[in-house]
Amino acid sequence: MALRAAVLHHIRVPVQTLRLKTNPCAPSGSIRLMSSHDDHLTKEEVVDRVVSVIKSFPKVDPSRVTPEVHFQKDLGLDSLDNVEIVMALEEEFKLEIPDKEADKIDSCNLAIEYIHNHPLAS
Amino acid sequence: MSVATATYLVRRAAQKERVRILYRRALKDTLNWAVHRHLFYEDADLLRARFETNKHVEDPDTIDRLIADGEVQYNKWRHPDPYIVPWAPGGSKFTRNPAPPEGIEIVYNYGREDND
Repeated sequence: MALRAAVLHHIRVPVQTLRLKTNPCAPSGSIRLMSSHDDHLTKEEVVDRVVSVIKSFPKVDPSRVTPEVHFQKDLGLDSLDNVEIVMALEEEFKLEIPDKEADKIDSCNLAIEYIHNHPLAS
Repeated sequence: MSVATATYLVRRAAQKERVRILYRRALKDTLNWAVHRHLFYEDADLLRARFETNKHVEDPDTIDRLIADGEVQYNKWRHPDPYIVPWAPGGSKFTRNPAPPEGIEIVYNYGREDND
């Protein structure tokens, strides 16, 4: 009995209580510790997927697409095309963007930033 | 004179925003009705053609009337059971597992009583 207790005490991993609130220096903006939403996308992945979605749009010339392209100024698209691109991005990342926010997404930069900062993008 | 053009431009900008939001909702609704992708593409092309025919109207009152007509038609054709992303309001996973409030811990005493 005492041997068992001694062996268990030896093997058992000591429990440490993690203090999340007293850690001001760690950048916990994009990392959520012990969260169930931990399938957060990395920035390169977001950029790659957004660029591939825009390149596969039929009215767009694929060679002119960069991560900083503006949909209406650089690619010469219409405002309705803008709406279509935002819908395609919503479908790609399984997001639900409110109407007012979706109206403001005008360029690739904004789209990447919005998707990267959205906690439920996947 | 510049005040009049400023209000005119503001009004046109508001109308353009209404048109964009209407197009977005109509496109989502088309996707709700036509689930198969080839049917959706055809219906989306028809919807786009309907928007394109009124593209060059200049008079703000006519545009207002056209937008109101479009919204009435959209409300008439709304799908009764639209697809909503699960975690969004109206979806199936919305507020399903809310985060527990602060300060709640689980005490692992394995059923030991206090007076043991």
